[in-house]
Amino acid sequence: MALLELSNIFKTYKIGSVEVHALQGLNTVIEKNEYVSIMGASGSGKSTLMNVIGCLDTPTSGSYLLDGLTVHSNDKKKSKLDDNELAEIRNQKIGFVFQTFNLLPRATALHNVELPLIYAGVSKKARMGKAHSTLIEVGLGDRMHHRPNELSGGQRQRVAMARALVNNPSIILADEPTGNLDSKTSAEIMVLLDKLHSVGNTIILVTHEHDIAEHAHRIITLLDGKVSKDSKTKNGSKNKLINNN
Amino acid sequence: MGQLWESFIMAFKDVFANKTRSFLTMLGIIIGILSVSLMGTAISGINNTFENSMDMMGNDVLHLQKFPWFMKGGDWWDFRNRPNMKVEYAEKILQRSKKISFATPEMQNMGNIRYGDNSIQGVFIDAANWQLQFVNSLDFSAGRFYTKAEDRNASKVVVIGYGIKDNLFPSQNPIGEEVRIRGMKYKVIGTLKEQGKFLGLFSFDNMAIIPLRSAYSIFGRRKHMSITLKVREGFKVDEAKEEVRIIMRSLRGLKPVEKDNFAINQQEAFRQQFSAIKMGISGAGFGITALALLVGGIGIMNIMFVSVRERTKEIGIRKALGAKQNVILFQFLSEAVIIAVIGGMIGLIITTSLVGLLNKFFVASLSIELIIISLSVSIITGVLSGIVPARKAAKLDPIDAIRYE
Repeated sequence: MALLELSNIFKTYKIGSVEVHALQGLNTVIEKNEYVSIMGASGSGKSTLMNVIGCLDTPTSGSYLLDGLTVHSNDKKKSKLDDNELAEIRNQKIGFVFQTFNLLPRATALHNVELPLIYAGVSKKARMGKAHSTLIEVGLGDRMHHRPNELSGGQRQRVAMARALVNNPSIILADEPTGNLDSKTSAEIMVLLDKLHSVGNTIILVTHEHDIAEHAHRIITLLDGKVSKDSKTKNGSKNKLINNN
Repeated sequence: MGQLWESFIMAFKDVFANKTRSFLTMLGIIIGILSVSLMGTAISGINNTFENSMDMMGNDVLHLQKFPWFMKGGDWWDFRNRPNMKVEYAEKILQRSKKISFATPEMQNMGNIRYGDNSIQGVFIDAANWQLQFVNSLDFSAGRFYTKAEDRNASKVVVIGYGIKDNLFPSQNPIGEEVRIRGMKYKVIGTLKEQGKFLGLFSFDNMAIIPLRSAYSIFGRRKHMSITLKVREGFKVDEAKEEVRIIMRSLRGLKPVEKDNFAINQQEAFRQQFSAIKMGISGAGFGITALALLVGGIGIMNIMFVSVRERTKEIGIRKALGAKQNVILFQFLSEAVIIAVIGGMIGLIITTSLVGLLNKFFVASLSIELIIISLSVSIITGVLSGIVPARKAAKLDPIDAIRYE
């Protein structure tokens, strides 16, 4: 079964009296352990799709299945999930990595990474252990008690990635993760993201930079709220080749 | 539970991250709680003192006097022109009444008492017969009351209150010592236990009791006199009062159409007057408290709205990471309650230090009940003023919130 299945997704916003059709019948399927980039010009519906996949927003119509769970469906019997149920899904299934990092400024790296575990109701002891080991995993073993303003941009993004990883989510959703970083740091972050994929994580990367998108194995291109192109990258074909051997 | 506890801890840190702002926000609550606890302490202190004073007066004691204690209507001159009380009434009432067990005439006057080089001005000198010890339930710390014989012989003996003993004999046994009352030598035969002040104004401790007959030579016979009567056990005060009224009317030879030309006072009159005063104090106190808490609560609400706005992005991040509405709600509600409760505690601490000052006037202490009430009021104020901002925070849309700069 597919990890993520979006069929005939529509999303319409009302800004004042103007209706904005952000998604217009979008269909796509993403399998477990895929590494997918989502590209598209601004206004193509990238952000909206991101919010729908991340359960931050619900579609106006269409069905969305995530890891066997019905997040949204047109069938009225399967009623829409409420705010709290969506929060629980975000907590359990989604790991967010944002362009602007979005760390709590007054909390240490360790506490930032602990946060999803707190909301998952994990005990203090288990939480500390898990947050520790995840920070070590992203190479920040010596920065646990630093606050975001004491960390470099690359280090902040690593904290954010540790936070995304810590609860073993089904999907890591990275929205322009290198958008605020210089090219050297960007490369480091992408190495880390590639590594996370190689150990079995499913990664969805939203970007408008081609060379970044090429890290993924598949690129979904959006235009006017629909998938206009869905293709494998060099990495993707290479991977297939290795698998075939 | 764990999540809520973490929210509480986070709220606590946030309160302390903005110390000055939190403190300023607390001011209204501090004043409110200060007012409620201080007022409560004062009322209970006044009440205790009042009850002590009433006990000393005795609630089964009638005071037969020329004037009523609280004149309601009537011309002062009518009261003034009434005949004076006479010493023999005490004996006559005791003979005729079934419902009175003890009776004493009392003459009261101010004077000074001297012992060696020390003297006290403005002592309350009470002259009564030997039955006074049974009329007012006197508590002795040492010695005894004067006997019937000493009373009849106009012996120069005196029973002194705690205040006089404390002043004249700070480190000495006063029993058997001679003091001078208005220049006359009196031997101390007994000392009374501490009574406290009446309404914080007037101390029964500053009292000396001497035999009535011995007082004639210093006060004269024509002083204001009253007859103090003790209701016999098993009889109702009101019935005894009625009986005394009938006896007095017959002693005075009043015709049925004539009005009483005497007053029978009892502590009930004080109690009525006192409860009116008490209501006044608590009413004013309640008003001040309610107003201060309202202002304090609005202050907290205002600062919580600011806090929610400032931390919109943080709320967005928390929600994206899976914080449910009630967790966010609890965090902000905790913050409001923490501010209110710390404010309440500061108020209580100030009250505790001011209670020392109150104690100069009457015995008062901050009771556990009052502490519990004060803290409950703080919590309720915190919840009421925090709920709206906290709900606003909980209902924020994560997408909008996370983009907020």
